[in-house]
Amino acid sequence: MNGATRNLIEVRDLTVGYGNRVVLEKINFGVRKGEVFAILGASGSGKSTLLKHLIGLYQPLQGDVRISGASLVQAEGEDRLRILRKFGVLYQSGALFGSLTTVENVRLPLDEFTELPEVAKDLIALSKLRLVGLESAATKLPADLSGGMQKRAGIARAIVMDPCLLFLDEPSAGLDPITSAGLDALIRELARGLGITFVMVTHELASIYSVADRAIVLDPQMRGIVAEGTPAWLRDHAPQPWVRHFLNRQVA
Amino acid sequence: MPVATPVDLPVRWELSVLPDGTGQLALFGELDASSTPVAWRNLEAELAAARVSRLEVDVRQLVSDSAGLALLYYLSVGGMTPGVRVNITGLNPELQHLLRSFSKEDFQALQEHEPTCSLFVEDVGAATSSWLGDLRQQIAFIGEVTLAVAASLFRPRRMHWKEVFRVFEAAGVNALPVVSLLTFLVGMVIAFESAQPLAEFGAQVFVANLLGLVMSRELGPVMAAIMLAGRSGSSFAAELGTMKVNEELNALETMGLSPVQFLVIQRVVAGILLTPVLTVYAMYAGLLGGIPVLLGLGFPLRMVLQQIQTSLHFGDLAEGLSKSVVFGAIVAAVSCLRGLQTGEGPRAVGESTTRSVVSSILLIILADAIFASITYTLRK
Repeated sequence: MNGATRNLIEVRDLTVGYGNRVVLEKINFGVRKGEVFAILGASGSGKSTLLKHLIGLYQPLQGDVRISGASLVQAEGEDRLRILRKFGVLYQSGALFGSLTTVENVRLPLDEFTELPEVAKDLIALSKLRLVGLESAATKLPADLSGGMQKRAGIARAIVMDPCLLFLDEPSAGLDPITSAGLDALIRELARGLGITFVMVTHELASIYSVADRAIVLDPQMRGIVAEGTPAWLRDHAPQPWVRHFLNRQVA
Repeated sequence: MPVATPVDLPVRWELSVLPDGTGQLALFGELDASSTPVAWRNLEAELAAARVSRLEVDVRQLVSDSAGLALLYYLSVGGMTPGVRVNITGLNPELQHLLRSFSKEDFQALQEHEPTCSLFVEDVGAATSSWLGDLRQQIAFIGEVTLAVAASLFRPRRMHWKEVFRVFEAAGVNALPVVSLLTFLVGMVIAFESAQPLAEFGAQVFVANLLGLVMSRELGPVMAAIMLAGRSGSSFAAELGTMKVNEELNALETMGLSPVQFLVIQRVVAGILLTPVLTVYAMYAGLLGGIPVLLGLGFPLRMVLQQIQTSLHFGDLAEGLSKSVVFGAIVAAVSCLRGLQTGEGPRAVGESTTRSVVSSILLIILADAIFASITYTLRK
């Protein structure tokens, strides 16, 4: 079995940018099935841009993103929808729909993509809310939830269709340390318990050391990946001093 | 006698009923989001027909996702066989763990949850209280804006004239094409509609007089103000509302800057200055719309212009222009107020925009009615 088939996500010679401005050039990496993978880098290094290309929101200037062997860049119509349904996304703000209750938010993909009986949809949505510890907030509106609860509800919605892959954009941003640690524990539980692969963009060093199995570091000057490895290895042994400083939270 | 499912699905099942009434159900294959809906319906119907007194379910050869687990959970709590004890065997530890996240209590709590219905009296009270609160805010805001405008007149250097010109251009110059088209067509419609009844009295030539008076006293200022409310007032409300949502207004206040001084005055001054200009433009466009109709009715251009000239007086123009100044101030101030009143959440900016247009048009018509009664009394 070669590397390409082992990897759930395969990024090949990916060049991304806006118009004529190239943000990342010819980057290559793979994400293995079942691992928690972090994308790190300073502000403006292209982490969020890369994430938006990985989830198919933007078309790359060049290169390919393959999920379970299928190209997200080239797929169209039903094929593209099939790939999109393999993963869920947690946006930075939770991106819950303000006019729907928490359980209705979680139920939404089931309502749109399945023909399950109403009782089954409610049971599944409630089970996901229980998994993230929000069963008591099912009938509340997003405006009545705290930031951490909104993110948990966002995760419940992202996993309601049983995806094998979850993308998280700054999951700990704006959360207090205890709520953030709770979210990390939930990510670990979902990764170990359900075998979900996670790809997360984050600045939170505590979260990186707590949950990430492997990480890449992006450099805005190089417009690419400068280091790849486990968070601990990057912190202690990365060849670039600024990467070690970054992961040790030191001013270079 | 075992009954096998005839359905061509990735999931299959065999149901047999023992002489003591015990049902034995074995599930095979894959129970996922696409196969579960059909399996759910068929299985429910078969189990209802079988009338079992106890049910043993074997899932050793079943692969399942959340949809399949929902079916198994519903089966296990007697959802398909009410009052019957159900025992599920052969579930692997991972699925057993996931099945524990399903809860009958959560489901019952959701079913019992009903949106709270308030009493009619409470609704009326709340609406009245909200209306009075809004009125109080509007009066306070008008006072604050008036004071700020007066202060700016004494210290014109403190005014952000660059912003005034930007608003003037966006709300005034850029609005000319749509104002032209609208008032041209309105002038045309008035000429057509009035020509027939006036012809019955042999007074068709007075269509020109009517057009001149209506466009200068009423429709010129009203149409210009309504266009300003719909096109620019809504944009003021959305702009200020977004700034509030993004906490830019809080930033201004903590810097010791008044949002009224910094953001509202410029828009109100621009509104007051540009609405009379738009009104004059609207009057001319309306007349231009009516003139071709009169020419079509056989009146020479010289005669039409003469009729308009003799019927229109400086007072009519002054009435229209004074109205337009008030309308401009109303639209700009009310739209800014609605923007500043923006609440929280994704719908707040949209609601402010709608409220700004509705309030502006309502107040324009109210002010127009007051103007009409005052000018009628003065002319007597």
